Amino acid sequence: MDQLFDVSLFAAALRMVAPILLAALGGAICARVGLFNVGLEGLILIGAFSAILGNYLTGSIAVAILFAMGFSLLFSLLLAYMSINLQANVIIVGIALNFLAAGLTTFALRAIFNVKGAYYDKDMKGLPKLDIPVLKDIPWLGDVLSGQSILVYAAIVIVIVLQFYLFRTVSGFRLLAAGENPVASRSLGLNVKKIQYAAVLISGALCGLAGAQLSLGNVTMFTEGMTNGRGFIALVATMLGQSNPIGVAGASMLFGFMEALSYRLQNFSVPSNITAMLPFVVTIIAMIFFKSSGYKNEAKKSSGSSR
Amino acid sequence: MDKLKSTLQSLVQPLLAVLVGLLVGAIAILIVGGDILETYREMWKGAFGSFYFLTNTLARATPIILVGLGVALAFRAGFFNMGSEGQMVLGALSAALTALYIPGPGWVKIIAAFAAAVVVAGLWSALAGWLDSKFGMNLLITTLLLNYIATLFAGYMVAYPFKDRSGSAALSQTEMIDASVMLPKLFQGMTVHVGFIIAIVATLALHFFINSTTKGYEIRMLGGNPLFASYGGVSRGKLMVMSMFISGAFAGLAGVSEVLGTQYRFLDGSLTSANYAWSGIMATLLANSNPIGTAIASLLLAALQTGGMGVERNTDVPLEISSIIQAVLILFISAKFTISFIKRKKAGAKDGSAV
Repeated sequence: MDQLFDVSLFAAALRMVAPILLAALGGAICARVGLFNVGLEGLILIGAFSAILGNYLTGSIAVAILFAMGFSLLFSLLLAYMSINLQANVIIVGIALNFLAAGLTTFALRAIFNVKGAYYDKDMKGLPKLDIPVLKDIPWLGDVLSGQSILVYAAIVIVIVLQFYLFRTVSGFRLLAAGENPVASRSLGLNVKKIQYAAVLISGALCGLAGAQLSLGNVTMFTEGMTNGRGFIALVATMLGQSNPIGVAGASMLFGFMEALSYRLQNFSVPSNITAMLPFVVTIIAMIFFKSSGYKNEAKKSSGSSR
Repeated sequence: MDKLKSTLQSLVQPLLAVLVGLLVGAIAILIVGGDILETYREMWKGAFGSFYFLTNTLARATPIILVGLGVALAFRAGFFNMGSEGQMVLGALSAALTALYIPGPGWVKIIAAFAAAVVVAGLWSALAGWLDSKFGMNLLITTLLLNYIATLFAGYMVAYPFKDRSGSAALSQTEMIDASVMLPKLFQGMTVHVGFIIAIVATLALHFFINSTTKGYEIRMLGGNPLFASYGGVSRGKLMVMSMFISGAFAGLAGVSEVLGTQYRFLDGSLTSANYAWSGIMATLLANSNPIGTAIASLLLAALQTGGMGVERNTDVPLEISSIIQAVLILFISAKFTISFIKRKKAGAKDGSAV
């Protein structure tokens, strides 16, 4: 057991939490304005690919992260325009976006890198690892928390910022109001459409960061469909955390830990097919304890129901 | 006359979408430095160029149609069943194992394999419906997650307990099924098999079920307006489990027809990498959950895919060009950005259905 739950497991867990957490925060802010963003998966995939592309073209990590955010932002704009302006069902658009992301990245992989399946360059630099002074000297805790990629810390900071923004600022309250009761908000003179746009775009940027962490955080490579369901797990984290940043962080921790554990168990001669199921099984079990609002309440919403 | 007019109008949207899809595809071809006309000519040839390629397209369309029909039924009831992939894989696995291990003559095995696939896939799908109606777990999410569990489980089954150890190949697959269980091909030497006939019959059956039976009406009512349906005495929970069972059963049919008609064994990853399930979901979206439309859209998507293979064989343009065109089609359709949409919006009617 000691071998199983050692320091490196928790460090790996934190690394795997980051993409789920970043995307889940994006999902949460969309959920807060009444949009169920199923497109997270595709947005992360776009982010992961663009990060590699930015890195490949310029060799700069900063540009790579900007690429990831930029392209994911562009795609979330598509989602926003279609679901808010054209009033298409946001879930269908989200699903379509996932298809588009999968198709575009595989095509671009062939067109730009001229490879099939995966692109890997051993000379490519990944995200820098930060050693936090003082913290890194604390036994155990230092080994877990220090030396993570910059985006892991960014994720933690964003949780706090978002929590403060949503529940302590005027503009945050407006955002909540726009989701809670769009009609009333409109009558108070709030521009609900603008607020929804902002929320979707923020989620796009966050998914871009999630993608960058995925493709540049641990290994520097891109594989087709490398998100492998993380966007959907992030959606569940959003729901479990009741779209509350700190709650979302808690749920993401659980799923990230399960993912790390599933990799770790492979070393204990458990078949990889069984261990890989772990995050998904735990996610489904976790959903039992979370009661979503009844379908009738959802059906009454103007933005369409997911159930 | 009015009927003709409305039929034509319902065709405007898909045709426009295809046009835009090809346009975006053309841009992608230009980007990789290909010749647009030549690429599209090769695509046409790859899909319909000869009798062989045509039947190839039909064979590919078979599982896509079946999956699409199941999804269409669930969508009509207002349920986002995204779990076709897992349902199909489990159906295929149970079909292969039944065909291998049930004793008896060929026709008994075939019936048993079909029954096993339909029941297993149906139950797996109904599980998600039950979880939603009982525990309020979001069906869209559970079906997505169950996909991963099902495919990983099937992979485990053929990598360990039921692995084919007869050959030298280290593939994760079951043994080959007996020749007496194989579904006959429709034409000598061609890939299309009896499964295609099953798919066509299923299309007509579902069309009849949705439009002409009481249960079908209840399903449409539930999807169109859940509140009205509840007022009208429709029990959502029961109907959800039932429609999810049928929906999964269709995916199971897709699985069994692939195993008995094309692959003759269950090979891990062969159904998922061919993207049958997701193509089926796309077809449903394209056809706005109309059964006959779903079958036509499935043929279109299958043609795009086999056409893409032709493009890959004969030009420098990668076959992924098809996935771009497909995704644009879906995106365009989902936006409902058409004349009819704008008209309806002007009339103030709001489409409350799931799709």
